[in-house]
Amino acid sequence: MAKKTYDLLFKLLLIGDSGVGKTCILFRFSDNHFTTTFISTIGIDFKIKTVELRGKKIKLQIWDTAGQERFHTITTSYYRGAMGIMLVYDITNEKTFDDIVKWLRNIDEHANEDVEKMILGNKCDMEEKRVVSKERGEAIAREHGIRFMETSAKSNINIERAFSELAEAILDKTAGREADADAARIAVERRPSRAPPARACCS
Amino acid sequence: MDKPAEMSQKDYVEDGQNKLIIKCKFCGSKILDKKSAKYIMQEKELPFMQQDTRKGGEVQIETINQFYHVENMYTFENIGFTHTVANHKYLSCADCYAGPLGYYEIDTKHSYVALTRVEHC
Ligand SMILES: Nc1nc2c(ncn2[C@@H]2O[C@H](COP(=O)(O)OP(=O)(O)OP(=O)(O)O)[C@@H](O)[C@H]2O)c(=O)[nH]1
Ligand SMILES: [Mg+2]
Ligand SMILES: [Zn+2]
Repeated sequence: MAKKTYDLLFKLLLIGDSGVGKTCILFRFSDNHFTTTFISTIGIDFKIKTVELRGKKIKLQIWDTAGQERFHTITTSYYRGAMGIMLVYDITNEKTFDDIVKWLRNIDEHANEDVEKMILGNKCDMEEKRVVSKERGEAIAREHGIRFMETSAKSNINIERAFSELAEAILDKTAGREADADAARIAVERRPSRAPPARACCS
Repeated sequence: MDKPAEMSQKDYVEDGQNKLIIKCKFCGSKILDKKSAKYIMQEKELPFMQQDTRKGGEVQIETINQFYHVENMYTFENIGFTHTVANHKYLSCADCYAGPLGYYEIDTKHSYVALTRVEHC
């Protein structure tokens, strides 16, 4: 039997309006000759990336989605099994920021309840064309209790960090669940002793 | 068509597996750990990495006969998968798009990496 060479597997999705830079975030931004090859005409579905977090080897399976599919056609099947979602807007395009709320609603409707989310304000290298301030990004994230970061796929700002923070947040959740499971098991094992519940305050 | 250069087995294969770490030729992104894939010989056509756009949109292909066989996609350290084309996905570098480095078969869920299209370190 082949030995398992990793500890955990996290499925992540990139979501957001068309043109915000999801595909550039997934791949190292490149204006070079590869972008006109056979691969780019077919398009990338997903990639596998290996990261190491707190001594655990984690496989990230990251899915690109096409923005023109829009909210109404991105449904449950896209979100199935997703443990993390990168919600991307373009800081130079107001509409893509306004749509974040719609994407959040879509996620609420279709994704797993406990999916870990992160909002990315991409293209932060284009300061001169900025129309969405960083404060507005932070505010919407705070309002929904989600992590936030400004990124640039072009200048490679915060891209790696965003993925490792999202992965770390999922790891925290997973670790919490493992601890819960352990606690539950201990509780079950202890049950036969039928120790009376302690009544510390009113006996 | 030119026959692609065949790579010397003894330099790259040990116990039927890849002896060395496999990386992207263009950006060095790590694709496979050493000894994580089986060496196999089979004839398979793959589109060239560089397509000459002057040749009227026809996809130019070559026949490749040495591959690393990866049964579980999560064996890969870093790799990209294209959308499905006729029962296949093509493999690309996870960081720079270079490819096809090989292909993935939908039916069997197995992947095949062409020896000539990757770097051995
Ligand atoms: N300046 C700048 N341009 C960017 C950045 N990220 C992406 N772009 C550009 O934005 C355009 C759209 O990028 P894509 O990655 O194709 O956008 P997408 O979100 O995948 O779009 P769809 O596939 O249509 O949903 C391209 O022209 C990129 O060159 C960035 O960080 N900075
Ligand atoms: Mg895209
Ligand atoms: Zn590469």
